[in-house]
Amino acid sequence: MVRPLLEISRFKMYFHTDKGVVKAVDDVDLTVNEGEVVGLVGESGCGKSVTSLSVMGLVPRPPGRVEGGSIRLADRELTHLKGREWRKIRGNVVSMIFQEPMTSLNPVFTIGDQIVEAIRQHRKLDKKAARRLAADSLQEVGISRKGILEEYPHQLSGGMRQRVMIAMAMVCRPKLLIADEPTTALDVTIQAQILDLMRRLNRETGTAILMITHDLGVVAEMCDRVVVMYAGQVVEEADVNTLFNQPRHPYTQGLLQSIPRLGQRAERLYSIPGNVPNPKQMPTGCRFAPRCEYAMNICRTEEPGLFAIGDGQNSRCWLHVDKKEEADRDPTTTTS
Amino acid sequence: MTQPQPLLEVEHLKKFFPIRGGVFGKKMGEVKAVDDVTFSIRKGETLGIVGESGCGKSTTGRAILRLEEPTSGKVRFEGRELTALKGEEMRKMRREMQMVFQDPFASLNPRKTAGEIIAEPLKVHGIGDARKRKEQMKELLQVVGLDSFHAGRYPHQFSGGQRQRIGIARALAVRPKLIVADEPVSALDVSIQSQVLNLMEDLQERFDLTYLFIAHDLSVVRHISDRVGVMYLGRMVELTDRDRLYENPLHPYTQALLSAVPVPDPEPEVRRERIILSGDVPSPSHPPKGCAFHTRCPHVMDICRDVRPEFKDHGDGHFAACHLLDP
Repeated sequence: MVRPLLEISRFKMYFHTDKGVVKAVDDVDLTVNEGEVVGLVGESGCGKSVTSLSVMGLVPRPPGRVEGGSIRLADRELTHLKGREWRKIRGNVVSMIFQEPMTSLNPVFTIGDQIVEAIRQHRKLDKKAARRLAADSLQEVGISRKGILEEYPHQLSGGMRQRVMIAMAMVCRPKLLIADEPTTALDVTIQAQILDLMRRLNRETGTAILMITHDLGVVAEMCDRVVVMYAGQVVEEADVNTLFNQPRHPYTQGLLQSIPRLGQRAERLYSIPGNVPNPKQMPTGCRFAPRCEYAMNICRTEEPGLFAIGDGQNSRCWLHVDKKEEADRDPTTTTS
Repeated sequence: MTQPQPLLEVEHLKKFFPIRGGVFGKKMGEVKAVDDVTFSIRKGETLGIVGESGCGKSTTGRAILRLEEPTSGKVRFEGRELTALKGEEMRKMRREMQMVFQDPFASLNPRKTAGEIIAEPLKVHGIGDARKRKEQMKELLQVVGLDSFHAGRYPHQFSGGQRQRIGIARALAVRPKLIVADEPVSALDVSIQSQVLNLMEDLQERFDLTYLFIAHDLSVVRHISDRVGVMYLGRMVELTDRDRLYENPLHPYTQALLSAVPVPDPEPEVRRERIILSGDVPSPSHPPKGCAFHTRCPHVMDICRDVRPEFKDHGDGHFAACHLLDP
């Protein structure tokens, strides 16, 4: 039985700066079901991090402003929450781990103090019980050495710090864990350890994971479903096998072709021409059109909606329209 | 196949950094960043060096160009001993070998225009007059896929990929024979990464370049290299042809490293056996005795804890340093 846990619909987060409006997240739809691992993929500046920070209520406002849409997590609307209400959600229903575990841990407090603080924020436990729980949670992420609770972040390696972050994020058993490039700063052999750990926690605790990454290898190994973003919008969405075997959006196709594969060696890599558009001057029509080799006239004038093309696959591209009748458009996901 | 004369030979290269402490800055120990590394690069080939952070791959690249003074060992370029060269001679020698850096944001002077940055090596080495240099600079911009109107712009006006192109143009300006590229694409997005890799391959063909390509991304290194060396804790543990390394890795570390790379295919045809190493890389200031990898090696034997394995040829130029391979 599939029940949606996180439902982001038609969500817009704009930044109002002196130099103009940056549409960082523009009409994004994204669903994470209970217990599911969803990958959110895209290049820098595509809005994947702003999307996830919005779910945590961590986008500074101003300059950020919600321009429309909703974010529902476990049947609660999040876009209207105030500071105090957020604190009940963060760390309790939804937790987040970041790319750089050194900067997300406080250097002047011990590991134990930091985890205990997180526990006591949400659970009515005395210090002793909270410390026991902290030790248990570290054990769960594979740190069992004595005295770890008294150590400071700088005494740990990058991989160990990320384990501590995961322990802290998981200690209150959130329903959703947002992982923003959790292994990008780590070495390959350490990355394998952390991915293995996250897979195990997902299986054992049923916590759903929203995995934000630019590494398609990590996506293929970890995720059930994938959402691809480009220039602030979702351009394609599908289950992991479909996305890798039959990508339908030209951007996804280009992205998959441009990665060197370990197993095979192409003489020449495919490369998508051009650069990501400037967020202050988005092209009219389809945002990918200036770099797209299939671009048609309509692509340069009208913005395509996210078309449902069967089997839960959605793609924001005009190429699908002649094959599908207009009536086939999913009314909930189409921008008119 | 004839063996072309090596362009660069590195023998027993060592680079130790002192750790100073106490009131008088006494030497307390040393970090063995590069600990006895030997390899050579043939003319026109690309040698990739991979390894995790702190394995000494960048220091190796810098020590070859003497951006870091090697502690000991020999570096020969076209038969000439580099470590013996004095300041001015070495400076002239650098015309032959240039470097491309990882961070396209930090490696370009923000107060100079792209044109000035690219023309600077020509000026430093006294090549041509001002007019000629300007012509060459414009040609270089075109060679790396930029336009001549870009010459007047400052680094912050470019994207990461474009900046890396400027860095490559600067390296090419003096027509070097060898380019040491230290993580040239790791700061770039996937779609931009492939553009820069393709550019580097085109330039290699066009200008007959030899690359020392340093990176942590095994897929990228496999794509661009002819031969690949794997480093761990300051030591070279394996070195062979690209395909042989990826298809038949001999060293347990290489095996683990290759198996740990996430593959962008949810249903790989061959389910790979994944080796997940336990523990972390030891500190290079206290490297383990014997084989540096023995603390994490799944096949560790008694001898590994005491005796450092020799880095030697196990047939057809397949070098590895592991006691398991000894008869």
